[in-house]
Amino acid sequence: MVQEKRILYEHLDVPGINTFDVFRQHDGYARFEKAIAEYQPDDIAKMVMDSGLKGRGGAGFSTGLKWSFVPKDIKPCYLCCNADESEPGTFSNRYVLEKNPHLLIEGILICCYAMGIETTYVYIRGEFTLGKKMLDAAIKEAYAKGYLGKNIRGTGLNVDIYTHPGAGAYICGEETGLIESLEGKRGQPRNKPPFPAVEGVFRKPTVVQNVETLCNLPFIVGEGVEWYTQMGPTYGDTRFDPPKPDPNTGTKLYCISGDVNKPGVYELELGLTCAELVEVAGGVRGQEVKAVIPGGSSAPILTRYELDTRLDFTSLTLAKSMLGSGGIIVMNETRNIVDCLLNIMKFYAHESCGQCTPCRWGTPWVRDIVQRIADGNGRKSTITRPRFGIAENGRWGDTGETEEIYEDLDLLESVANNIANVDTMTWNTICVFGIAVSWPAVSYLRKFRPEFEATIREGQLTTLSVEAATVPPEENYAYQQRIVPRELE
Amino acid sequence: MAFIKLNELEVEVEDGTNVVEAARQHGIEVPHYCYHPGLSSPANCRMCLVEPHVFFPPAGAIVPDRQLATGCTTVLRTAPPDRKLDGKYDFIVYTDSPRVKKAREDILEFLLVHHPLDCPVCDQAGECDLQDFSYRHGHDKSRYLEVKNVPPKKDLGPDVLLYSTRCIVCTRCIRFCQEVSGSSELGLIHRGSHDEIDIPRAHDGMPLQLLDNKLAGNVVDICPVGALISKDFLFKSRPWFMKKESSVCAGCSVGCNITVEYKEDGVYRLKPRFHGEINQHWMCDDGRLGYHYVNSDDRLQLPMTRVEEELRPTHWADALTQVTEKLSEADAAEVVVIGSAQGTNEDNYVLQQFAHEVLKTEQLGLFGALPGEEHVFPQFTIEADKNPNTAGARQMLSNGAPVLEGEALWQKVSEASIVYLVNGAPGRPLESVEKAALESVDFLIVQDVLPSEVTALADVVLPGTTFVEKDGTFTNSKGWVQRVRKTVDAPGEARLDWEIVQQIAKQLGGEMGYHFAGEIAIAIAENVPGYADATHQNIGDSGVKLA
Repeated sequence: MVQEKRILYEHLDVPGINTFDVFRQHDGYARFEKAIAEYQPDDIAKMVMDSGLKGRGGAGFSTGLKWSFVPKDIKPCYLCCNADESEPGTFSNRYVLEKNPHLLIEGILICCYAMGIETTYVYIRGEFTLGKKMLDAAIKEAYAKGYLGKNIRGTGLNVDIYTHPGAGAYICGEETGLIESLEGKRGQPRNKPPFPAVEGVFRKPTVVQNVETLCNLPFIVGEGVEWYTQMGPTYGDTRFDPPKPDPNTGTKLYCISGDVNKPGVYELELGLTCAELVEVAGGVRGQEVKAVIPGGSSAPILTRYELDTRLDFTSLTLAKSMLGSGGIIVMNETRNIVDCLLNIMKFYAHESCGQCTPCRWGTPWVRDIVQRIADGNGRKSTITRPRFGIAENGRWGDTGETEEIYEDLDLLESVANNIANVDTMTWNTICVFGIAVSWPAVSYLRKFRPEFEATIREGQLTTLSVEAATVPPEENYAYQQRIVPRELE
Repeated sequence: MAFIKLNELEVEVEDGTNVVEAARQHGIEVPHYCYHPGLSSPANCRMCLVEPHVFFPPAGAIVPDRQLATGCTTVLRTAPPDRKLDGKYDFIVYTDSPRVKKAREDILEFLLVHHPLDCPVCDQAGECDLQDFSYRHGHDKSRYLEVKNVPPKKDLGPDVLLYSTRCIVCTRCIRFCQEVSGSSELGLIHRGSHDEIDIPRAHDGMPLQLLDNKLAGNVVDICPVGALISKDFLFKSRPWFMKKESSVCAGCSVGCNITVEYKEDGVYRLKPRFHGEINQHWMCDDGRLGYHYVNSDDRLQLPMTRVEEELRPTHWADALTQVTEKLSEADAAEVVVIGSAQGTNEDNYVLQQFAHEVLKTEQLGLFGALPGEEHVFPQFTIEADKNPNTAGARQMLSNGAPVLEGEALWQKVSEASIVYLVNGAPGRPLESVEKAALESVDFLIVQDVLPSEVTALADVVLPGTTFVEKDGTFTNSKGWVQRVRKTVDAPGEARLDWEIVQQIAKQLGGEMGYHFAGEIAIAIAENVPGYADATHQNIGDSGVKLA
């Protein structure tokens, strides 16, 4: 049985941890003080690079590498903390904000020290009213205690934190959409390049980091890189010779929801399998697992045959899915995949920002097609290819074959792939919202095609048994294509 | 200069050119909607996707980039020597690879998902980018079965209608209002597939703000589809029935390059034409909508003479005889000839020649500046002088001697017995000084296009022509000499202004012998300082800047 490994959440349940004094008793701000006392800013950047910390926001991009792209000579430089946790199925940042906001402030301080940043914006999801209240209170307290503001602890370090509530758009969780929204414009992602590291908030270099990523920093500094890298697997990237280390170090806040007995946030080392995670969460509620969404609603779905996939950035990417924000949704045998897809597509059609053409008009189209299938109006036709020959009854007759063509399924796949092609991983859109739409659409369809076909055939939502609904591994292209990475010795 | 490989072509382009422009310069079309050379590039239509080729170190080869790039934001620059592709190219880009073609088809399919196929009743049909690119790059049919969005039709301002159903949300109009006019009336409301262009509606005590800036008409031009429509042109004509001629706007001294679109029965609309140093891609609404007097039913069609205190139509021979009789009797010192800043350089030059050589008078004037307001926008200026050719007329009329203007002119006029006045400005008001001076004249000959306060005082009225009815040149306030071209015929028996003058000169015994405006331009080139290059052959479509 896998044990929880609480680091970020270690003191989450301590009463009053949201206050400065209690936080201070639990090593609070000690790591920041260690950082400014013992390390130069560049040392910390190097530690972060060596720790192999990957951004927890969704893309899993190396934090140290991202920092290295920030030009050193352009000031001011900004830190933008992405607390716009809007991916369906994800709710880990929320607990940090609501229960332990000082940890985030400490992470911000370390990042600001390392990067020479004086101004931080925390973009908080508009619905997190409690989280914003708690963070604002903590910031006020930190100012009062001299851990924020001008000349912190007499070191000459200046850090200001401003919180900014979002207005409820999913796309403002995308880093450039967030920046636009922060600047007071419509929340529409920018064209990249230039990336925010070069040109971000107010056209200045900006480090955009997720709450969870920043919360990891105090522990990397406090406990050291050695300790940190022991957690989680380090794979070898075999495209290089010798294999290049691909670290998936640290812990991850897995948000487990859906059909499990004990849903919630679990902090676990990266690299455990999907099946293990379901066990940690109290096992599946109901008979068996039908499907698992491994990383928020935009991640491609995993079937029951793929439950041995390890839940870390590299393994899931190579399994043609993604860890994303770590929002894991488990579905049992009672769930209808068409209905689930409809639910997700309704969300994405509503949340498309409407800036670029494929997404603006593609997402509602995809939703409408799924809606039509779910309503029982999916199109199907039968092609007959007659052939004159000796039939089964021994007489001359038609020995031709018939083929069922499900036009709407082909259309669905084609339209989704036209927004963003999941096979080549290319998108015609400005941001990755496009692939966030077509990934679920195409993966649900490909992996649970029998259920879609049954729904069209029967003219109503039809839930098949798990066995019958799932495309077997030998016919599942994504399953065939998946690569299981090998840990570096 | 960047050396790039564009499809199979090896071409050189200026540093800083984007792929769309580079391709256009070499005759390759990269379809685009949101990109406009006069505006910023948001790359939101995704239509101009092209395929860059990059060096891929693991393979040690140049391969197509994983993602397609938008041509409008892909800027071509000279690469450092160690980053050259194939040892020589600064950039390799394909605009016609199978991936690009597929992407274009897909984008067009999405664009047409909610677009109504109402081309038969759409004003834009025939000059619509969506039609053209669908035809050249799109699918032959739609796979969309669902119900289309039907956002409402909106009245945005005095001259602009929005058919929201046709809108493809390229945001060109929004960016125009932000960047060029600086007035920011337009914006997007709603989100996703419900995006709509709109103006600020009245809310919470804030007033409704109409799209009524002086440049608003340009949003109709830059709209790639038939969403923004000019009320002035609505349902007037199909674009392909109109003939087009390059010309210059006569609305003010900026001299915006325009295309006059016309049929036999009149001018239908004016559209701006690109000129990098004068008007860029734009023109103002005053100029755009100011052509209506040309088609007016009130236009002077016949010469008129004053009989029993009343102007009565007569025939040319009669009117010209009266004029020549009076002029031949008069003393040169009592004659004042006044040219018009509405007339072409050719008109004014012939008038000057007539005054100097035939009438032997030095009393040459220029009918003063037409009062107006100056409007300055971030990227455009409408000048206060509402005459198109003040600078040119002054140079033509002076030809050595000073030109009478303002008070000096009206002083002379009040002392004169015969005044030959060319007006041509529709609806010009007369100030009291001017009116008093003209009333004191014994015999007032007026050459004009419309009944005006000047013609009301005239003894003989000669019908002249407007800027769309004659060939010639205008000189703008910055010294650009540009061509106006004849499009429609003058109404009734109205004649070219310089022809009338030449005819009078002939009857007075002076021979000029010009047959067409180009000949006069050659004479101007020989005689007027600075105009040596300004012959019609040299000027072409883009004008000549005076030395």
